[in-house]
Amino acid sequence: MSQNTGEQILLFSDKREWADVVPLEQYEGDPVAPIFYSETYKDATDYFRGIVKAGEKSQRVLELTESIIRQNPAHYTAWQYRYETLLAINGPLDTELLLMDELAIKYLKTYQVWHHRKLLVTLSGKPKPELDFITVALSGDDQKNYHTWSYRQWLLSYFNNEEDLWSGELDFVEKMLTKDVRNNSAWHHRFFVVWASGVRSGEQDRERVLRRESIYVKQNISLAPNNPAAWNYLRGMLDHVKVPYSAVSDFVKLYTVPFDPSRPDLVDLENPPPSQEAQLPCVQAVEFLADVYEREGGKENIEKAVELLKKLATEYEKIRKK
Amino acid sequence: MTEPFDALHLLSKTSHAAHCRRCLTGLPAVSTDLDASRLVIAFYCISSLDLLGRLYDKISDAEREAWREWIWDQYTLGGVHGSGFRPSPYMKVENPSEHSVQYDASHMIMTYAAIITLAVLRDDFERLDRPSLIQSLQSCQREDGSFSTTPGGGETDLRTLYCAFAISTMLDDWSGINVPRAVDFIAKCRSYEGGYGQAPFCEAQGGTTYIAIAALHLIPERLRNGAEVVTPAERAQTIRWLVQNQEPSGGFRGRTGKEADACYCFWCSAALQILGARELVNVPALLQFISDCQFRFGGIAKSPGGPADPYHTYLALAAVSMYPPDNGEVEARIGSWKLPRLDPLLNTSEETSDWARKYVRARVE
Ligand SMILES: [Zn+2]
Repeated sequence: MSQNTGEQILLFSDKREWADVVPLEQYEGDPVAPIFYSETYKDATDYFRGIVKAGEKSQRVLELTESIIRQNPAHYTAWQYRYETLLAINGPLDTELLLMDELAIKYLKTYQVWHHRKLLVTLSGKPKPELDFITVALSGDDQKNYHTWSYRQWLLSYFNNEEDLWSGELDFVEKMLTKDVRNNSAWHHRFFVVWASGVRSGEQDRERVLRRESIYVKQNISLAPNNPAAWNYLRGMLDHVKVPYSAVSDFVKLYTVPFDPSRPDLVDLENPPPSQEAQLPCVQAVEFLADVYEREGGKENIEKAVELLKKLATEYEKIRKK
Repeated sequence: MTEPFDALHLLSKTSHAAHCRRCLTGLPAVSTDLDASRLVIAFYCISSLDLLGRLYDKISDAEREAWREWIWDQYTLGGVHGSGFRPSPYMKVENPSEHSVQYDASHMIMTYAAIITLAVLRDDFERLDRPSLIQSLQSCQREDGSFSTTPGGGETDLRTLYCAFAISTMLDDWSGINVPRAVDFIAKCRSYEGGYGQAPFCEAQGGTTYIAIAALHLIPERLRNGAEVVTPAERAQTIRWLVQNQEPSGGFRGRTGKEADACYCFWCSAALQILGARELVNVPALLQFISDCQFRFGGIAKSPGGPADPYHTYLALAAVSMYPPDNGEVEARIGSWKLPRLDPLLNTSEETSDWARKYVRARVE
């Protein structure tokens, strides 16, 4: 079936193998927001209603539902019926997944494509190739696709296999962040892997993990300071391990003031400085420092926080004007 | 110094109303992917007309009556798992078999949309079988507290849960829901950023954050067991994240680092409104962004320069209803941005919300 090449598409009503099915029209009175269906869609759905009424679940239902899905990937009943048919006829899951590889990329933004995949993988019990598929799907134009990332998070937590699944995740997420350090979906995934999903194998020394993550996020901030995704990760991490924000105030302060050329160029892993090209002061840093003062409390600190928030408003206004 | 609303264009109510009426009359074949959600399109279009104050303007009684009848045509009375509304008659046949009926079932999101739209059209809900509606909520709730879209199957995520909560609110009857379990599920969807994702472990997103916050605040006092629905620390964190999502352009983005989009202007600002933090919204910038999203030939687009659709049109108008310009002196241009007030919890005008809470309410036998 090709919809886009312009070649003549054979209708189901023209096909001999379908002659035994009674096509059924959609039954509707005075419609609201009717869709002016194409001839091929009307034809396919007429046959679908006929098949469903008869309760037929056979090989040819796969052909019919594929045709509908290609014309309307959000037709959730066609998806559901297709799945039930696969079960009923004991259809080959690998062929189905192969087809889904194509459809998932084509209809990346459609919920049903991913839902169907989830059901198939639950049946097959083979999540590993799925991770590889997602890695490919996320290397395309849409590196922040919500469904794709959600599916990956579901696979990991549902099958929860250290050796086959979790062990490669940090490498994967690191590659994604190297491609785009502002990709919040990747930062979120890192948080999921390192903190939210529990303690992974080899990560039992939490002090070490905290140190590693802390250096990682700070280095990434120093490379691109105006990156809310990284700052949110830093905040989330400190919240998670219940370390006060003031623990990183020396680092944060470097980003709340204009660049200081007289600063000695020392390598300090704990407090990597901004580069000369960085746009300073950085809004997220100013906000962070204000939070440090506010949380410490006391009259003097609150005054400092208020002062910083005023500065924040001016900085924000400057950006807005641009 | 420039005044905050200087660059604001007129809110072109007439052309937006025309856009909605056009969509109610028919959609082109490229909209075929809306086949299984036409009721939601009706909801956005008719609700937009409500907010624009154009529901009784050049629309005849007969026309509104026909809309109501069409919605009631989608009512699936007598289902084994209770009744609700189907998305459209896309699976309906003239003489259904037992099989056909099974695949022509009600859908939770559509049921919410149908009830609100009927309330917009001031239906008396005489035809609503309340015990059966409550039964359908029960049959959609899962072990983990989430809700599926159709009884016993289909997708589950936070959207469906919100719809179940909104329906229970209008019924003023929560016996169809296990509230503690549902609240547990919402908590699992919370992310380190302060927003909520669509399912456990997912990235924080504006739409699902609104839905989580609204759902929590819909729970009646008597079912909260004296506990706060969000702790002060959570509230502060959520507010911070929501505020961060307002771009310098004035529009809100749905996720950290993404672009502003008219629908998130509603989802994020409505969540802030519910959390009692409306003063943190930059209103002039917000309205400017929505003004720039107005499509030349009617309707509001996702972002400036894009094509309009009913979804972004309604949600942008809903945001405007909550955040009108606060200027004292009302000249026509700025005055055009004052719309009827919105109930952010049920996502409909306050008047419609009052109507729904009064007439949908489960009757005392
Ligand atoms: Zn949008």
